[in-house]
Amino acid sequence: MIRLGDIRDSLEGVIPSVIATTDTEGMPNISYLSHVHFVDDRHVALSNQFFSKTAANVASNGRATVMVVDGSTGQQHIMDLVFERSETEGEVFDRVAAQLAVVSREQGMGDVMKLRALDVYRVMDCRAVPPANPLELPQPRETEARDHLAMTGRLSAILAATSDAEQALDRTLEGLETLFGFSHTMVLLADAARGQLTTIASRGYDRFGFGAEAAFGTGSIGMAAQARVPVRISVMSRGQRYVSAVRSTSGLGGDGRLALPAIASPSSQLAVPMLVQDRLLGVIFTESDRPFAFRHADEEALVITGRQLALTLMLAEQLARGPSAVPPRAGDRVTATATGPAIRVRYYSRDGSIFLDDEYLIRGVPGRLLHHFLGDYLATGRRDFLNREIRRDRSLLLPDYKDNLETRLILLRRRLEEKGGPIRLVRADRGRLRLEIDGVPELTVIDDA
Amino acid sequence: MLETDVARFIQGRVMSLIATRNQAHRPMIGRGTGARFDPDSGEISVLVSRSQWPEAVAWARPGLPISTTHVKPDDYQAYQIKGIITGVRPATAAESAQGSRYVAEMLETLGGLGVTRLQLSSTLSDHELVRVSFLPCDLFVQTPGPAAGRRLTDGFPAP
Repeated sequence: MIRLGDIRDSLEGVIPSVIATTDTEGMPNISYLSHVHFVDDRHVALSNQFFSKTAANVASNGRATVMVVDGSTGQQHIMDLVFERSETEGEVFDRVAAQLAVVSREQGMGDVMKLRALDVYRVMDCRAVPPANPLELPQPRETEARDHLAMTGRLSAILAATSDAEQALDRTLEGLETLFGFSHTMVLLADAARGQLTTIASRGYDRFGFGAEAAFGTGSIGMAAQARVPVRISVMSRGQRYVSAVRSTSGLGGDGRLALPAIASPSSQLAVPMLVQDRLLGVIFTESDRPFAFRHADEEALVITGRQLALTLMLAEQLARGPSAVPPRAGDRVTATATGPAIRVRYYSRDGSIFLDDEYLIRGVPGRLLHHFLGDYLATGRRDFLNREIRRDRSLLLPDYKDNLETRLILLRRRLEEKGGPIRLVRADRGRLRLEIDGVPELTVIDDA
Repeated sequence: MLETDVARFIQGRVMSLIATRNQAHRPMIGRGTGARFDPDSGEISVLVSRSQWPEAVAWARPGLPISTTHVKPDDYQAYQIKGIITGVRPATAAESAQGSRYVAEMLETLGGLGVTRLQLSSTLSDHELVRVSFLPCDLFVQTPGPAAGRRLTDGFPAP
């Protein structure tokens, strides 16, 4: 029997699978089936949504035969199955439910394909359907020879040698490109209270897109965040490409938000939640213009890398809170006399969004931080801020805030830098930030809370 | 008339699955290379590649049951037909040519939907075609949606 782990790429649902059963009289029944899901080397799961006759036949004799097709090679395999159990919760159920939800939403079908139950079958036999006279032969794939464990180990070593959050973000994306060949990547931070993810790092796009947002539950990134499971799309449908094409429109979206960076015509996407201590820190994402660019081994490698990055970011936060932070010194209260043109700054207290000269900048915690810095600067002329002091400032306290300060400061600094002025936040040294302003800010607070 | 529509449907550019079964009632899956309905005999015949689907063809024997499912790939409209096999023989030269035309047409149709020749490399075959004929006894709508699984009571027109 062929080990199921060796044909996982056939269990993608790119080419519809086939399920056949027989009734008590021996009459066969045959139909298409969207997905056969991998559980382990001896088990598969079928979403319990197929036609009633199939369900009746399985209920009567517990047996089914399925055929799966590898979407990249056309190779077919047949499995003889015996029904074992039905599941309505658990890791496999959640994974399959998330996959179905992604497909359903992208096709504009809402919750039509909502998973109700998942049937787990024992695989009694799995055999190849030998191509007797194939129309075309697959080319050997060079990526098959790659050792994902070794590559993940090397990336892990790079991350293990990094204590700085910003370095960890950039080196992870650099490593994913040099080691794995993932040339379009992003890291987005999760803001569970707002149900949004915000881009903090990216690589391989025509712009960084710092501050660009994706909503929980939308697209592969949002689904990975909402369901907390990896979402991998091997062949994107025209509808999915359209969504992505809209996403790639640079500048402001219709709702005043920044569009996520995107490649022109993605064929594959992989979005993986970054979890640590059962908390979602964000999502790490990669995409490619090639179909089948990401396989199971790539997914597993990105899952491990995402977890280690989440852990590194969390430890960097804890380190920044410790006693080793930079002590205050005489120059901390650098003041300046503002000169230059007026800069109109609008701050909305409801969601922390900030507009500079009517142009959207950022929202959420980074927006609140910038409002705080500007307010302090206007009141006292102060330009230097210690992370430690920011952390202690009671006026800034927000839920889930102290744990994320370092990454939010990185996000704000990067967004200001990418915008190219007139306000910048620079790292004076570790644990100390300096506000640079080319003009005289005029702060208007709109208290719409 | 619906039945005529179904007869025309299965002879069009549709993908076809077949299932026979062994003595232990384990289904044997195969794929068809085109189907025909003969209004005179009331039989349906499906071409199947013996070299590509040896198990399904081995259990295609007169007197044993067979099911075929036919789906239009661009809108998923589908029907399943069940019946009893009446005859199995190698395809004639004309039938083989018909099978080759079917493969070419389906490559064109599916290619237009983004399915590659490689993905279909062993799905479509016109080698060593066998003609399996059966007398249909049941017809079901299998298009995904509320009508899926509905039996069309009148079946096919009598010969």
